[in-house]
Order: sequence, then C-alpha cells, then structure tokens
Amino acid sequence: MPAVELSHISKSFGPIKAVDDVSFSIEKGELFGLLGPNGAGKTTSLRVMLDIFKPESGSVDILGGPMNESKKDHIGYMPEERGLYQDIPLDRCLAYLGSLKGLSPTEVKERAAVYLERFDLTASKSKKVKELSKGMQQKAQVIATLLHQPELLIVDEPFGGLDPLNTQMVKDLLFEQHQKGVTIILCSHQMHQVEELCDRIVLIDHGKVMLYGALDDIRRQFSGHAVTVRTSDKIPALKGVERIEPINGAVKLHLAMGTAPQEILRSLVAQNVTLEQFEISMPTLDEIFIRVVQGEGAPA
Amino acid sequence: MTKLWHVAWHEYQRHVFKRRFVLIGLLSVPLIILVMVGLIYLVLSLDINTTPLGYVDYSGLLKDALPAPAPEPPDRPVPVLPFETEAAARSALDAGQIQAYFVLPADYLSTGRLSVVHLGALKDPARQQFYNFLTANLLRNTDPLIANRLVKGAEIIVQTPDGSRSVSSKNWFNVLVPIVAGIAFIIAMFSTGGYLMQAVVEEKENRTMEVIITSVSPNQFMAGKIIGDTAVGLTQIFLWMLFIVIPILALRNTMSFLRGIQIAPQTLLLMAFIMFPAFILVSALMAAIGATVSEAREGQQMVSMLSLPIWIPYMLTGSLMGNPNSPLALGLSLFPLTAPLTLLLRDGLTILPAWQIALSALIQVLCAAGAIWLAGRAFRLGMLRYGKRLKWREVFARNQP
Repeated sequence: MPAVELSHISKSFGPIKAVDDVSFSIEKGELFGLLGPNGAGKTTSLRVMLDIFKPESGSVDILGGPMNESKKDHIGYMPEERGLYQDIPLDRCLAYLGSLKGLSPTEVKERAAVYLERFDLTASKSKKVKELSKGMQQKAQVIATLLHQPELLIVDEPFGGLDPLNTQMVKDLLFEQHQKGVTIILCSHQMHQVEELCDRIVLIDHGKVMLYGALDDIRRQFSGHAVTVRTSDKIPALKGVERIEPINGAVKLHLAMGTAPQEILRSLVAQNVTLEQFEISMPTLDEIFIRVVQGEGAPA
Repeated sequence: MTKLWHVAWHEYQRHVFKRRFVLIGLLSVPLIILVMVGLIYLVLSLDINTTPLGYVDYSGLLKDALPAPAPEPPDRPVPVLPFETEAAARSALDAGQIQAYFVLPADYLSTGRLSVVHLGALKDPARQQFYNFLTANLLRNTDPLIANRLVKGAEIIVQTPDGSRSVSSKNWFNVLVPIVAGIAFIIAMFSTGGYLMQAVVEEKENRTMEVIITSVSPNQFMAGKIIGDTAVGLTQIFLWMLFIVIPILALRNTMSFLRGIQIAPQTLLLMAFIMFPAFILVSALMAAIGATVSEAREGQQMVSMLSLPIWIPYMLTGSLMGNPNSPLALGLSLFPLTAPLTLLLRDGLTILPAWQIALSALIQVLCAAGAIWLAGRAFRLGMLRYGKRLKWREVFARNQP
C-alpha cells in the first residue's frame, strides 16, 4: 500500500490553475523527489496532500486513507516558508510544537536534547528564536520537524539558506531517516541534491506532471541522444553525429534524431578506431529538467 | 482535544508571564484609578481651607459653645473662634488669622438671618462646618440621638415595589460601580482581543501558521487561542479587582462612603451573561481581523472602527441618564456591541426588565457564536495569505477554496 497517493488532483486560485490533474504515488519507506521550477505547483500539491487546501477534483490517500487529525501526529512537515515563534526561547518553542504533535513534556525534553546537541544548538536553547542566526533557525526548524519521529516526512526546499557543512548534515539526517524506513518527500528545485538522494521522482511544471518514475528509468529515457567515446585516435567524420564536444579527455558525440548508438559503434569499429571507452551518455537530472521545462518533453 | 488546551496554555503563558503584561496589562487600570482618586482627593483638599472661622454672637446661643462635630474625611476640621466684637473679628480677618466670620444677630432665633464677612472665597466645606457647629449648639439641649439625627440628616433609600432592588442616597457611589466595572471590562476586552489579533497576525508574519495547521485543526487552534486569550483577560480583571477591593477594604474604616460600596447580584449576573459573551464576541472579531490583514498596523486601524460602537453609550451618557428607558436606550441595549455598556449604565439608574436582559444576552451569545464561526472561516482562508490582505467578500463567499 502506498504511503501517499494523489489521484487526478486539480486546484485553482482564481483564473490560475496551480495543479492540473496531478497523479503520483509514493511507496512506504521511499525517498521521493518532488521537482519543478518555481511556481510549478509543487507547494500547492504538498498543501493539498496535507489537507491545507481542498482540491476541486481528485483524491488524496495519505498513510492508508484520507487525511485526519490523528494522522497529523505521524507527519513531519517542513514548509518552504520557515516558521518558528520568534519571541520565545528555542526550547519553549520546540516544547510547544512537540506538544502539538502529541509528545509529552518529558519526551520533548529528551528528544530535543539529542537533536540540539547534534546540531550544535545546546548552548542557544534558552535564547529567543529571533536572536538565532538564519542558519541556526533553519536547523531548529529541522529539529521541530523530526522531534515526533514521523512516519512520513515532507521537506520543502530543506537546503535553502544552509552552508555546505549544514547542507551535508541535513542530507545525512534525511538519509538516516530513510534508512530507518521513514517515507520522505523531498521537494526541491536543486536537482543535484535530489539526484543524490532520491530513487524516484515526479517533475511538475505548470501544474502538470511532466515526468514520473524511477530516476534511472527517466535518465535512460532521455539517454541515446549522445555517446561518450574515449580514444587516442582522431575521431573520423561519422554519419548521424551532429556535434562533437570534448569532455575531460574524452568526447561526447551528440547524435541526430533517429541515429542509434549501435550505428555509431559499428562505424567506429569499421573505421579501426581504437576504443578505450564507449558508453551511452546518461543525462544529468539538471539536463533533463531543462529539456522538460523548455518544452522538449520526454522522448517517445 | 488536548491540543486545544496546549494552544490555550501556550497563548496564556506567552502573554501573562511577560514583563509587558505586568507593567501595562495589570498595572494600567489600577494606576488610572489611583491617579483619578488622587486627583479627586487633591481637588477636594484644595477646596479645604483650615484657616479658622470666626463668629460674633449677639444672640447668646453660642455662649459656652460645644465644639464643632468632626467632619468626614477627606474634609479636615476648621477651628471656630469666638470674637467679642465685629471690629475684633474684622482685624483678625484683615490679619489673615481667620478666613471669615459669621455674625449672629440678637434676633437670629426668630429670623434665622445671619451674616458672613470674608475677603477671599469662602468654600462650601468650611461654610458647612460652621453650620454643623451652629446646629449642634442649637440642639445642645435636645436628646443626643435626635440631635445627632438632625445633624447627620436622613438616608433616603429608593427601592422597587417588590423590594428586590434599592439605592441609598448615602451610597451614591454604587451607581458608579457598574460604570467603572464596564470601563474596566472593556479595557480588558480590547487588550485581550488585541493580544489575539496580534498573535494571529504574528503567526502569519513569522510563517508559523503552516507548521501549526499540519499539527492541529484550524478550528481547534482558533478555539484554543480564544480560550487562552479570554483567560488572559479574566486574569487581568481578577487582578484589577484585587487591586481595587484590597484598598477599599483597607480604607473603609477611614472613609465612610467606601463602607456602602456593594455590587448588586443583578450587576454580577449582567456581567456574567452580557459581558462574558461580549468578551468572546470582541475577541473572535479581533481574531477574524487578524486573519484577514497582513500586518499588525493594518489590523489596528480596523480595531479602532470596531471600538467606536462599543464606546457610543458613554458618548450618550447624558441622554441615557436622562431617560434610561427610552427607545434609544432599549435599541442600544439590544445591539451586540453597545449592549454591555448601555445595560451597565442603565443598571445603575433604572430597573432593567428581565426580558430585556434575557433578549440582549441571547443576542450576545448568538453573535459570539457567529463571530467564532466567522473567525474560523477567515482564519482558514487567510492563514496562508502572506503579504496579501483577505477581502471580506471572500470570507462571506459561498464557494470556499
């Protein structure tokens, strides 16, 4: 049974259709990437998923059925717009947010102590939140999201505003939660982070699902347009190659539409080129993203 | 349900356990009252001139005169000095030894005429003390009980035919009690509503809203906030009452007029049935305002529009006192925002028919419930409007996002 299943959801704000017939599902224990350019409809999809917005059509199943109050205690949500009570000390802020997730004061205290130590915030726990730096507040927000040990973790742009060290710390933490079997939805437009962490993704643009599936499958779908060749010989003129691009001592051959990599391999062998490496170039998620968003779409 | 109480407690402690609450929230009204009482005392004290009074008695009535009865605080005793002749009294007056002198002619008893000579203004308290001195001496041979009664005067008690309510001429202060209570209640109501509005705006401004509503339902959250902030207001009122009651109890032995202060059970009932729902009504309306605006400053402007009708009864005090049962008074007693003060004002001046109280209370409760519904609706719609104001027509729109 999927942890989350969105089925044909649509949501408009006035004349703007923010989400248009979006469907995807996330399996239990999966680290799933929700991608899209700014204003694509990612956050609206999350808000519909969390029952903050009611969809005009479609349905959402979350943790085995429609959203209800008790399920909120099993979900950790870190919105893109970070929000903590600024005027109270950090430990009191965490205690309040933890209590709203059904934790007892003792549980909050014990769990917060561990995370505060890990994030190097123990010395700042009595400070008012507004006195903390932006990065510290970001870390505090992560703690508030994880404090109740959620089954489903939804993080919207979790690396925004973090330095490389803290980015790695959050990444490790997400990976650790994934190892524990927590279902994670990582919403981001930082493709390399998603590529590094997620197994499956959905890419939304203009409110519509543009790509959906396992990351390897998607990359494979978009591969075949180029091959990487490493050789000490000069690359001869080849039929079906549109452009040759040198990359780190090798060359990337961009193929014309309708040219199969096998034809290139055959041509190279036929012309006695000594091949040290011949592989089908897999596009990066960044490249796929740009191609999809620029309207190239997935290859047939 | 537990989450509702967590929200309420969080809301309560974030206001009550703050220095600002102690300094402004708690001490403001007692300080205002203290300053007002101080000013009244100062004005009364300035009215009291303890320079002796003189008299020249040609009637013989004040021979071997009894001392003047002691005045009641804040009045202070003015010595009364006899003079043999008007010339002697006049030189004492010119020398500033006395502030005035009275001349009782030989036929005073039959004519009741006496004259008074003074240079500056002779204030009422001093004049009254001389008359009390004169009366006490005229009655020196009368039964002391009767003499005392004549000097102290009668206490006229106006009461309803069924005897359920009465007002004493000596306890005039009781008429003021509901008015003062009303002002205190409204100040508490607005400061509490202000906290609530500010909290809702702040949660939008600092983006906590989205985190909160994925933990607790908007209705529970709003109800918890209203409960918490109403508790803040009640704490404020309770402590104000302590600040007021303790000095009254402490001073009642020295200030006799304080002895008569009492709050009628009907006033307490009025407070419970009219003021409490009014409290909820105003709090919920303030929360609704907080949910629709994007900044606290914008909310303050709307609050001033809300506060205007609440103070209307005070602006019309003269008319309400002149005719506390007029159609205007009745209309203001039934309109939710003007009802609290109008009813409390009228309560001190007339006998309020039970049906008017019941109808007004019913309207208050219905409006308070409606305001909570409105606040919840505005909150649900406005909670994620960052930097953009929610229009009221969107709140009332049939189709909701």
